[in-house]
Order: sequence, then structure tokens, then C-alpha cells
Amino acid sequence: MQLAFDNVTKLYGPVIGVNDISCRIGPGITGLFGANGAGKSTMMKLASGQLRPTSGRVTVGQRSAWSSAAKRTLGFSPEINSFYEEMTGRDFVYAMTRLYGYSAAEARERTEDALDEVGMRDRAERHIAGCSHGMRQRIKLAQALVHDPAVLLLDEPTSGIDPGGRKHIGDLLVGWASRGKTILISSHILAEVEHLADSILMIARGRIIASGTIAEVRELIEDQPFTVEVVAEPPRQMAAALVNLDVVQSVEIRGDVLTVRTRNPAQFYGQLSDLVIDGGYDVRRLAPLDSGADAVFGYLEQGAP
Amino acid sequence: MKLLRACGTLMMLSFRRLLWSTSTLMVAFPLIGSGLFLLRRRYTYGDENSRYFDVYSAFTAFSEEFVLALFVSFLLPICALAYATMSIGGDREDRTLLFLLVRPLPRTLIVVSKLLATLPLVVGLVVGSFWVYCKLAGEVGAIAYPIYLPAVLYMTLAYVSLFHLFAVTFRHSTIVALAYSLFMEIFIGNMPGIVKRVTVTFFGKSMIFEMGAEHGLPEPDPEWFVPVTAPGAGQTLVAICIGALVLTLWVFSRREYRDLT
Repeated sequence: MQLAFDNVTKLYGPVIGVNDISCRIGPGITGLFGANGAGKSTMMKLASGQLRPTSGRVTVGQRSAWSSAAKRTLGFSPEINSFYEEMTGRDFVYAMTRLYGYSAAEARERTEDALDEVGMRDRAERHIAGCSHGMRQRIKLAQALVHDPAVLLLDEPTSGIDPGGRKHIGDLLVGWASRGKTILISSHILAEVEHLADSILMIARGRIIASGTIAEVRELIEDQPFTVEVVAEPPRQMAAALVNLDVVQSVEIRGDVLTVRTRNPAQFYGQLSDLVIDGGYDVRRLAPLDSGADAVFGYLEQGAP
Repeated sequence: MKLLRACGTLMMLSFRRLLWSTSTLMVAFPLIGSGLFLLRRRYTYGDENSRYFDVYSAFTAFSEEFVLALFVSFLLPICALAYATMSIGGDREDRTLLFLLVRPLPRTLIVVSKLLATLPLVVGLVVGSFWVYCKLAGEVGAIAYPIYLPAVLYMTLAYVSLFHLFAVTFRHSTIVALAYSLFMEIFIGNMPGIVKRVTVTFFGKSMIFEMGAEHGLPEPDPEWFVPVTAPGAGQTLVAICIGALVLTLWVFSRREYRDLT
């Protein structure tokens, strides 16, 4: 099932939340990235039917996201940490399950399955008020997936979860995606979901500035500077040799670390190999600094209208 | 069937949360305090220890001092306010309303379920406490309870609906409802002239004056209070109740609660 934004604009009075956004999300995992105030939260709220677009249309399958019918196919794990604090994790998930209209027995079964999936089954008797941040995240996740939704909206799902837990949840998301679910993950920590997401949406100032796989998005910025860190001996001589290469824009030296900026990474790596062999330099480390989504986003955001 | 089950769940969930909320503690103090006041100020008559010469003067004193001045002007609105604003307002302030809005429950049914969870609690508390007070008041209480009960019920329904409207409309609905109660119901409600007819209390008091008249409750000073007829007052309170409910449903089904995340 697809989540679709068609020419969606959302205004908060005179302030633009999102501006004429159109995209098709899913099936599979889609990462939604953007700085604070970029419009990420507005997109999540529109998708989960908390907000209505000022113009355009947000649909889940064929139904408007605002409708209660669409919400039956939608699971939402919010970023906020507000719960019915007096309840146990199990009671909370059970109560949320009952709100889908399941019978007590079915709700109980689904609750246990969901708690099991997020690794909370043996800790769910604890009152939410006494739960750690990571446990709360898992409870939020459990209440979002308890009705087996076709579309899952997860706002910062791994925030506050330990590395083992992140891997567990990552595997879980990949498993759901392989079953044809549509998953939209909003996150600040791009590296965490970059490897999970089949595609990414980058948003800045209320507009989608890039979408596609990380490789496709990277292609959008071929003419942007690409930074490589080189640790080599002798550093000064190598820096001098690097500066003479056509594809190198600049070289900074800090101790034996050289930070090289180039506009053409492919050509740069080719010329660098020749240079190292010809000059007999001892290269101990060679690492791109900005091939990740963070850097891509940084470049694109700078260029966004 | 699924929708009914979901509404039933929300009703029970809301009822339990309201019952064990701080609202219960908040209303317990004035309710207990009023009981103690009644124990101290006895509305007995006829013997040498009594303040009152006959049943009429005792009934009048109970009606004026307790029912009109304290119960319907203060205790009843406080009980309605404490639960009705917290029913949706509490979820809004705690930001747990979000978990309800993303479920497949039509928004109108969320309001109806919340209202149905609040009503038995407030009606039970108001009617129950009124019954206890009338028992404590003795013979005059036994007279007052059945004749004033309709007015108390109508007022309760009107206040609950009105404060639900506040809850879906205002971010800090408890504070707004308190301000409303103090300014509109107490200040405006006690001003001379017809301006007080915009208050719920006016119509409740009109019913009480008419019902109490046959037991000796004197008519109010026309300089200050010109009551409407009891049927007219009852109809107005029902209209307030229905009007507020319709507005609540309309506001809640259209409103975007941007402050939840």
C-alpha cells in the first residue's frame, strides 16, 4: 500500500509547513530526513491524519489520511514520550489494541505478539512511569504495529535505544518491509537508517529537495565538493603534489592528516593512485568524509530554494 | 461491532482514568468541607436548641444558604468542571490525545465516548453528594431533595456539555472554565438586571425558586432576580446542553491539534 502526497501544501497561518510536496512512498523503507523546522514533522502529521493539507491531497491507499478508514491501515509511533503513565506497558498496548475494536481475547494475543516482536514481553509489567527511554520507544513501536498495519510511520524510532536494540529494531523493520509493508522513518541520525532505507526523502524549508536511493541522490550533487581524508608520509610533500592535480580544489594540512576537496571523486581516485605510486608516498589511511547522507543533505540543503 | 467495542473501551478507559485522577482529590475537599458545614449548621426547628421556629423558615434557610448559595453556585460547577474539562482536556494537556486521534475511531465517537464516561461520574457525584447533604440536613433535606433534583440534574448536564466544549476548544480548558465560572456564573450571575440570563446558574435558580415556593421559599427580590418559569428554564438548560454538544462535535471533528507532538 502506498502513501501518497499530491501537491500538498500546509500553511500554519502565514507560515509554510510544507510547500507543494508530491511523492509516492512505499512499499519498503523510506527514510525522511530534514533539519528542525524543515517540514518533517508536518509531513508525519499529515500522513498520520493529525493535520489536513491546506491544498493538495494525502492518501493512504485510495483513502484520505484524515479519514478514520485510512487509520485502520496505518500505524504511528510518535516522537513524543507521553503515555498513560500510570499503566503498565502491557496494559497500555492492550488498551490501544482494543481501540481498534478487537475482542478482549484477540487484543490480548496481538498485544503479546507485538510486545514479543519489540523485545518487551518480559518487561511489560513495569509501570510506564518507571520505564527507561528505550523501553518507552519499544512500547510506542508495539502499539503502532499491533494491528498489523500496511503503512507504518515511525518518528525517531531508535532514539534512546542501545546499539543492540537498534539492530534488533532495524532487523524488525527490514523484516516488515520484506513482507510488503510501507515504512516511513523520520530520523535526525541519518547514518542509523541510511543502511535500512530503500529510498530517502530529503526535505528542507518545506520542500522535498531530493528523493531516491542514497546513490541516486549522491548523483544529484556530482558537481559538489567531495572531501577525502588522507593520512600519509611525508604529508607536506604529498600535499604539494595533490595541489597540482587538476581535480583537487584545496588541501588542508593538520599534522599528518590531509583534508582534500575535489569536485570529481572518480577522477581524483584514479590520479591519486598514480601519484602515490610515482611519488612513493606511504598512505596509511584514505577515507571519504562526506559520502554519507549527512553530507549529501548538507549540500542539497545549501542549494535548496 | 468493532466500532462499538472500541467506543466501549475508550469509555471505560476514560472513566477509570478520571475516577483515579487528581480531579477526584480536587473535588473531595470542597465536598467534605460542605458536609462538615452542614453538620455544624443544623437546619432543625421547633425545639429549644433549634435555630428555626418552623419547617418553612428552616427550609428557606437551607435552600438559600446551602442549595442556592453553595451547592448550585459553587459545588456543582466545580464537580462538572473538574471532570468534564479533564475528560478531553487532560488527554490534550498530557498529549496522549495523539494516541486516540491516530486510531480508526471517528472523532465524533471519541467525543461521545468521552462524554459518556464523564456523565455517570459527574451525575453520580453531584446527585450522590446532594443526597448525602439532604440527609445531613434532616427533615428539610428530605423535602428539598426530590423537588430540587430536576434542577440539579439539568444544570449538571448543561455544565458537563459546556465544559466539554471548552476542553476541545481551549488549550488550558480547566483554567478557562474556572475563569468562566468565576466571571460569568458568579459575577455576571449575581448582577442585577437581565444580563444574568446568559448564565447556567440563572436557569437552575429559576427552577429552584419555583419548586421551592410551595414549601415556603420566598420569591427573590425583583430588583435583583426575575426568574423564568421552571419549564422554560428546564428547556433552556436542555437547549444549552444540546447546543454545546453539537458545537463540541463540530469543533472536535474539524480541529487540528498541532500542539500534541
